[in-house]
Order: sequence, then C-alpha cells, then structure tokens
Amino acid sequence: MAQVTLSNIKKSYGAVALFDGVDLEIDAGEFVVFVGPSGSGKSTLLRMIAGLESVTDGVIEIEGRDVTYDEPSDRGIAMVFQNYALYPHMDVYGNIAFNLRLAKMPKSEVHERVMEAARILHLDELLDRSPAQLSGGQRQRVAIGRAIVRKPKVFLFDEPLSNLDAALRTQMRLEIETLHREIGATMIYVTHDQTEAMTLADRIVALDYGQVQQIGTPDDLYNAPTNKFVAGFIGSPKINFLAATVLSTDGDTIEAKVDGLEDTRITLTATGLHEGDKIDLGIRPEELHIADAGAPQDTVLRLSGTVEIADRLGNITYAYVNAGLDKNLTVQTFQKRKIQTDTQVNLTVPANRIDVFNTQGNRCSPAKP
Amino acid sequence: MNTLLPKNKLRLSSFVIWSILAFFIVIYGLPLLWLFIAGTRSESSLISDPPLALGTFAVMKETFVNLAGYNNFQMLTWAMNSVIYTVGSVTLTLVSCIPAGYALAMSEFKGRKLILIMTLVAMITPSQAIILPIFLEMSLLGLTNTYMGLILASSFFPFGVYLSYIYYTTSLPKSVVESARIDGCGHFQCFVHMALPLAKPLLALVAFFSFVNNWNNYFLAFVLISDDDKQNLPVGLTTLINSSGALNPQAAANNLPIGQPEAIQAAILVVLPIILVFLVSQKYVRSGLNAGAEKG
Repeated sequence: MAQVTLSNIKKSYGAVALFDGVDLEIDAGEFVVFVGPSGSGKSTLLRMIAGLESVTDGVIEIEGRDVTYDEPSDRGIAMVFQNYALYPHMDVYGNIAFNLRLAKMPKSEVHERVMEAARILHLDELLDRSPAQLSGGQRQRVAIGRAIVRKPKVFLFDEPLSNLDAALRTQMRLEIETLHREIGATMIYVTHDQTEAMTLADRIVALDYGQVQQIGTPDDLYNAPTNKFVAGFIGSPKINFLAATVLSTDGDTIEAKVDGLEDTRITLTATGLHEGDKIDLGIRPEELHIADAGAPQDTVLRLSGTVEIADRLGNITYAYVNAGLDKNLTVQTFQKRKIQTDTQVNLTVPANRIDVFNTQGNRCSPAKP
Repeated sequence: MNTLLPKNKLRLSSFVIWSILAFFIVIYGLPLLWLFIAGTRSESSLISDPPLALGTFAVMKETFVNLAGYNNFQMLTWAMNSVIYTVGSVTLTLVSCIPAGYALAMSEFKGRKLILIMTLVAMITPSQAIILPIFLEMSLLGLTNTYMGLILASSFFPFGVYLSYIYYTTSLPKSVVESARIDGCGHFQCFVHMALPLAKPLLALVAFFSFVNNWNNYFLAFVLISDDDKQNLPVGLTTLINSSGALNPQAAANNLPIGQPEAIQAAILVVLPIILVFLVSQKYVRSGLNAGAEKG
C-alpha cells in the first residue's frame, strides 16, 4: 500500500493556478525527491503534504487515511526546514524533547528517546547548548533529531542542506542517506540541487511551473528524459542543446542537419517528425569524444571547434568548445592528453547517444541504449 | 577620543558635532536639571539667586512637609491612583496588544488588512478627537469616575498592536511557528510556547511606551474622573497648582503653604518614576527597538 498518495491535487492563488491536478503515489520506505528550479512549486507541494499550505482541490492520503484537511500535527509527519527552525529559547535537549513533552509522554521515555536520537546524530555532547551556540551542521542535526524522536510515518525535508557550505553539505547528505537506511522511513525531500536529487532519491519528481515533468529513478531522468526541461535540469555540467532541422523522414528514421554548420548531416531515430521541422539535439558532455578528423558519416555526428576554456579538475577535464554555434559546447573528457586552450579539436558523438526533442520540447527519440 | 583622531582632522567636524550635542543638552537637559535643583530651594531663593544655585536640605525638607500637609498628603493618594491606573492599563495593554499583533502577523483571515489599516488610522487619530465618544461610552456603561473606566479607556493602545505586528513579522521566523505546529501546537500553544517567550524585548517596549503614556495621561483622566481622590498625578498636580498660589500668588484664593518650591517637588514626583523606569528597562527597550534590524 502506498504510504503517501496525492490525488488530483490543485492549488491556486486567486486566479493563478500553480498545480492543476497532481497525482503521485509514494511507497513505504521510499526516498522521493522533488526537484525543480525556484518557483516550480516543489516546496509548496511539500508544504501541502505537511498541512502548512491549504489545498484548493484534491485529496492527500497518508497510510490510506484522508488527511487533506487535518492539522499538521495530526498527519504523522515530521519536517526539517531549510533554516533549521530551531526554538531559540530552548536548549538542544528541549528542542528535541518539545514534541514529546507536548504530547505529555512520561519523562523517562522522553529522556530515552532524546538520548537515542542524540546518539544517532552525535549530539550527546551538545544537549545543554542553545541553538545560537551551534554551527550550521549541528543545527541541522538537531532539526533532524527533533524529527526522529517523533517516529513519524513520513519525513519531510525542505531544502535542508542549502544553508550549509559545500563540504558540510556533502557530509550531511551522506548522513541523511545513512539515516534513511537505518530507520527505513518514508522520506520526501525537496531540493533545487540536482546532485542531492540524483544521489539521495529512489525516485525523482521533476517539477516546473507546477507541472510534473517526469517521475522516475535518477537513471531514468538522466538517460531517458521525457522532455527538454528534464534533460536540461538533470545533469551537471548541463546537457548541450544543438538546434537542427529535419531534412527528410523515412518511417522512424530521420535525416537532420545542425543549423548553421556544414557537413553535419546525420541519421537519427525519432518519431512524429516531418520534413522541415525544427528540432533540438541533446548531447550529454560525456558523449562528446575528442577524436581525430575523419570523413563525414551518417551514424556519427562530427563537429569541430576551438577550445576556449579548459577546466581541469585533476581526474576530469571540462572543455568549452566554440564550434560556431550560439553557445559553447561542453565536453567532458578523462583523456590524459592535455587539452590546450585556443587549439582546434574534432568532436564525435554516435547517433544513438543523441536525444531528439521536437518543437514542443518533448523527446521523440527512443531511450538511449 | 582626541587621541584616536589625527589632530588636524579634529577641528571642524568634531566641533560641529559637539556644538550640536551641546545645544540640545542645554535646550532639553537644562530645564530638567533646574527642576531637580530647584526642589531644594526656597521661594525667595528661586527669585533672587542664580538659576542653578543649590538650596539646602533643610529647605527641601520644609518644602516637602508643606507638600505633605496639603490635604493630608493628597499627593500620595494621587501617586497611588497613578500606580493603579498605570499598572492596570499596562497589563491590559499587554494582554490585548501582543496577541492581536501576533494574530495579525501570523495568520491570514478575512478583514486582516482592514484591521491593520484601522489600527494605523487609530494610531494617528489624536485622543482629543475621540474623547467625547469615549466619555459617552463610559457613561453608558456607568464607568465614569471609576478606576475601571479610566483603565479600560486608556488601555486602548493601537501603537502597541502595530509594534507587536511589526515585531512578529520581522523578528519571529515563520518556520519556527510552523515547526511548532507540526510538533503539535495549536494556535494558542504556538503563542504561549513560541511567540511569547521570544518576545521579551517586545514586551518591554510595549510596556514602556504604555507606561509613559499612562503615567502622563492628563486629558483622559481629567475628563473621566471627577472625584478629587480618584485623580492621578498629572491632574492632581494641576489641581494643586491651581488651588494654591504656586504660579500666581496674587490670584491665590487661600493661604495654603503651597508655593513654587512645593509645586516643583510635586513635579519631581511625577517625572522621577519615568526616569527610573527608563533607566531600569532601557537595555530591553533598546534591544526591542533594534530587533527588527538585527534579523538579516
């Protein structure tokens, strides 16, 4: 049975509709990440599940019970906020114990649960400190501790790591992953950081302007994005988009040419296109290979250009190549051979590693092998 | 300070700053200083000696005895009344303003904007303008010339509501309240467990302003209270001055030993509590005034 079910959820602010019927099922123990740019509605969706935001229409169920109009505290959820939202006038112990005390739990049990949470989160030494005396990472741990002690059915995380510096963010991300494995609870996590989404999620829900763009595993979203938005949002560095035109079609195959570049005729598999259609070719940076010059081939797209910037990260190099298009191409390479700036390079990509998007932005090529 | 600044930079800018400060100290500070010194001087000394000449303890004591003799030390009754009115009003103000400001800041409900606008309008409306309806209302309730009537009337403090509203919108993170809601707090518990303990500077600030307002409340007390023994200090002070020859010896209708020195000491009695309360509470009051700015 699904732990959390959203059925036809709608939300409007006056005449402006943010969500127009969102459906989603989240299984028990699943880690689901809502991802999207600012304004995509991911936090609003989470806050509606929490009961902090009203629902215009639709039903929210937790463990089969309709909680659409229940108070937040009656939903069996716990939430960790972006800015920690610790109670500044209580010490760490008081913060973690607050909910249990409010529920009038016996003192001994409160103590037991707080100590257990403190042990899991390494907060034992900090219990009598006030939130102001804690570092960002410690504060976030207290916020998580406050959630754990309630033993909720569902954990909600609202961009919990975005106020932390990069190193701490990685560490806390791993801690949340460990926590999920240890307690096995259902977790719903909101982030705009696609690295967090990719590493933490069992399933990702990609949102844009209140529309669910795609729901799937991180692999699905990366390798088989349903549209240009998901392809562009997931993946770092970003996917390259090349504007192209369909020259001819033959059943499921098309012949296309990159706009503005000679000798770029290529045969691709794609459906629903017609001669003269404008399309976008999506090519991940790691699919572009630096190669020797060669004769044009219709199963391989060949491009050439000048390296404008080469970012060397030690194990990987990102080259930004000016191939005569309006944007530089990003190329990821492991090659030991040093890529020099201002040198000419030839790039190849096999036709079956290219995603084709039609004018509506939908992918019309099959999933990559 | 001189040692911290290069000598040649000291000249004009510091001179201007110090001159401005000195000007205001003289204009506003001198009368207060004079008041406290004059309380020790005799009537004749006030006329003939230099303005800031110090009197003697004996004179001060004699003046005080005269003042205490006025209607069996009626000053003390007025002072007690002032304390009752002020404590009552400050308490009622806090009890009404803080939750009102919190509700306006933290919740969405129909008519919220209208209430906010009305609060602002009430803030800028001079109290003289609504004195008649208030009097009629109190009269209708049979509360004129009663402690309860004046306390009720002077507890109306829209500035306190607005101050609370501003404090809660700027200084209380919404997520803290939301977190408390998820932890199981209802609206009332959120207020008691979160909003109230986190608003100590606000409490100090509203209490202080309300205290000053009520302690100095002349007009409302003058209109609502007719009984001499129920007057507060500001009205009492006027009664004392008017009924004696303190300011106009020729017009005195009696020969009470109440002259200028007695009136001065009575005035000190009115002013002193405000200064004391300010000195005690200034730390909290200042932190309350800064609270909005500190939140980044």
